[in-house]
Amino acid sequence: MVESQAAATRRQESSVAVRVRKVTKAYPGVQALRSVDFELRTAEVHGLVGANGAGKSTLIRMLSGASVPDSGSIEVQGTAMRFEDPRALRRNGIAAIYQELTIVPEMTALSNAFLGAVPSRGLFTDRRKMTRRFEELSEWMGFKVPPDAKAGSLSVANLQMLEIMRAVQADRDVLIMDEPTAPLGPFERSRLYDLIARLKQSRVSIIFISHDLGEVLRLCDRVSVMRDGQLIDTRPAELWNKDSLVQSMLGEVRTLPLREAQAGTRRSRLRVNKLALLGKVSGISFDLGEGEVLGIAGLVGSGRTEVLRCLAGIEETAVGHMSIDGADCTWPQNVREAIRRGIMLAPEDRKQQGLVLKRSALSNLLLGNLRGAGIGPFLSRRKRLDSATKLSKQLGFDPARLDTPALNLSGGNQQKLVLGKWLYCRPRVLLLDEPTRGIDLKAKREIFQTVRDLSDQGMSVILVSSDLEEVVEYSDRILVMARGKQIGLIEGHQTSVEAILNMIFEVEGRPPSAGTQS
Amino acid sequence: MNIAHTMTEGQTTTHAWQARLPGLIGVYGIIATLVILLSVVAIGNPAFLSAQNLFNMSSQWAPAGIMAVGMTFVILTGGFDLSLASGYSLCAVIAAYVGQAHAPSVAFAAAIAVGLAFGLVNGVLVAVVRINPFITTVGSGFIITGVALVMTKNAAFLVDGTEFGVLGAGRWMGIPYSGMLLVVFLVVFGLILARTIYGEAIYAVGGNYEASRLSGMRVRAVVASSYVLLGGCVGLAGSITASQLSSAQANLDPGIIFDVLTIVVVGGTSLSGGTGAMWRTAVGLGIIATISNGFVLLDISPYYQSIIKGSIIVAALALDTGLSRLVRAK
Repeated sequence: MVESQAAATRRQESSVAVRVRKVTKAYPGVQALRSVDFELRTAEVHGLVGANGAGKSTLIRMLSGASVPDSGSIEVQGTAMRFEDPRALRRNGIAAIYQELTIVPEMTALSNAFLGAVPSRGLFTDRRKMTRRFEELSEWMGFKVPPDAKAGSLSVANLQMLEIMRAVQADRDVLIMDEPTAPLGPFERSRLYDLIARLKQSRVSIIFISHDLGEVLRLCDRVSVMRDGQLIDTRPAELWNKDSLVQSMLGEVRTLPLREAQAGTRRSRLRVNKLALLGKVSGISFDLGEGEVLGIAGLVGSGRTEVLRCLAGIEETAVGHMSIDGADCTWPQNVREAIRRGIMLAPEDRKQQGLVLKRSALSNLLLGNLRGAGIGPFLSRRKRLDSATKLSKQLGFDPARLDTPALNLSGGNQQKLVLGKWLYCRPRVLLLDEPTRGIDLKAKREIFQTVRDLSDQGMSVILVSSDLEEVVEYSDRILVMARGKQIGLIEGHQTSVEAILNMIFEVEGRPPSAGTQS
Repeated sequence: MNIAHTMTEGQTTTHAWQARLPGLIGVYGIIATLVILLSVVAIGNPAFLSAQNLFNMSSQWAPAGIMAVGMTFVILTGGFDLSLASGYSLCAVIAAYVGQAHAPSVAFAAAIAVGLAFGLVNGVLVAVVRINPFITTVGSGFIITGVALVMTKNAAFLVDGTEFGVLGAGRWMGIPYSGMLLVVFLVVFGLILARTIYGEAIYAVGGNYEASRLSGMRVRAVVASSYVLLGGCVGLAGSITASQLSSAQANLDPGIIFDVLTIVVVGGTSLSGGTGAMWRTAVGLGIIATISNGFVLLDISPYYQSIIKGSIIVAALALDTGLSRLVRAK
């Protein structure tokens, strides 16, 4: 067993690991938490779900001591949290693993695992002890990374493991995981589920946050729903289902009606023949109709993102034939060329590649066509405001927040800005790479509603998403990829997630064992 | 639902000023610093506010101020130019050299052309070849200084004739031309930055280069252009100094790079690019110029001058960034 005696005794003292009583918190302009009561039992996995802005992050920030409640109390293992004393907070034994990992990329895996708690012998670090404990924990966690590997060279999944290891080695009794599975592929996810089960066995209590409701229902013992700063309901997972969760999260249920299948009647918009990118992708051919939504299904690393990047002119070495609206043209070799042809990409990494975070929402919306709202070389403030307001309404973005820097907006609103930036440029083919990653349900619906409206007006869409259900639900046709190759092109309404996964596994073979490759 | 809604609104009105506080401190903190400094110096020596003194200051700070205008563009794109002091000396040398044989207008045009040319070289190296701006401009700075040394053999070029001195020392109704140029530059380039498509592109590229590129902007041209613009400013600044001194040499004022950077950064333009403004550079210039002039007017011992100057600069930056972060974090 890898846990220390002290931690074990501490855990036995109480069956409730964390108790939150009537906690309230207001930020300028927002009532973030309204009298929240929450209880985390020892050795339970407790799901916490809610739309963005429901108050999940505020609650977590308090539990990890990063934020102080206005009123109410928090007890950890039966003792009240004292926010004025950071050392006492550390002894609480709560560790939070955020989406933004706190790994130092230049340091080794070993150093990262012991960051802030290096075992020492006198003045010197006890490297032997570190290595021994690292190997012990690695084995227990099923983590296969050499201790001297540079953290910067590891995959996101392994970095996450490393961060969990840091928490475990410091004997943390309570782990908070904020969207841990968002950046992970299916195999990496199942590895994380295994680890969570193992942590639970050694009586660690876990708060698990995710937008993937299926995962939450499978993994958690109990699930709590938050909405508008309140904790709406806590029930054992068996007493929830997806619909009741969604209903509690949103307060009302709305779904997009399925669109009529209309394949065969469309005019060709984009024809791609034998697209290849050396070492990444080859033999991609499809015909995208006017107003059609083509989904690309495939695992992480199957080349789906590369296909979009080739189409958007980002991969300069891409080769292939393309025709747009019936006219043959050379493969776009740069972004501007692709944009001139009406092909635009809303990238996977919206913060780094989609938005200028320091600038206002308005500036970001108009980023793709600065001349569009100008008079000669000058900006017209009125035209800009008019255009941005119009776009906001189309996207379901609150026009009162146009002056807010993109940095301060939720993931859903940021994604709306990326989408709006391209709508402003009137794309013929809009490429969406993981448009709903880390986005709450309401924003997700609004985004797909906008996409649906535009495709009804003739805009063609190529959709890539790790969420296969989403691909099946919103696509007219689905291109299935595995190992950089196209393995099928199927009608969206005649297939299911299982059918697609079976196709993929036939090519990919056995699930690859998780190693250091990303 | 309704109750919850009104509660939120009530909260909004109570906390509205708090929400805006970081922004307010960000904007007014630096202006407050300038006003306090102006008051202290003016009370200590009323001669500070005399037209004569202010005009002299404007002329004296014109070269650094004009270069700060160009540097604001470069820093906003996330770049940097360490070759500025070398370029400034070379342009002054060119102006003096050409001015010995030709009309002053030809001399100054030559200096500005040289400034634009090495600005273009820096711009291409940074934006197209994509070498780190610090390294690029340290290297080009050595080369430029070398060229100036070869040209002058480390002797000063002297220029005869009063016409050559008009640009730097000439006045209209007591107002120095160089001071007027400084104000015109601040206003015109301030407007370009705040109100034109080009200015918006500078902010976007500096804020996020990759996102701007993927949005279809001519990112390389935008980055390169900022160095060219700075080169032009350096050419003009060198001309003004050569004109003021009626001479120039290869190591005119190596320390001027620190004045220029301090002006831009004290104003609150971020070295990481994408945030800042020309009015901030104007306020930064006001602060630095007032401090330096104040030392003379208040007769402060040179021993204490650097301590005070350094403290004021750090305090101004702390007020601007530190305080607003503190408020935001709460």
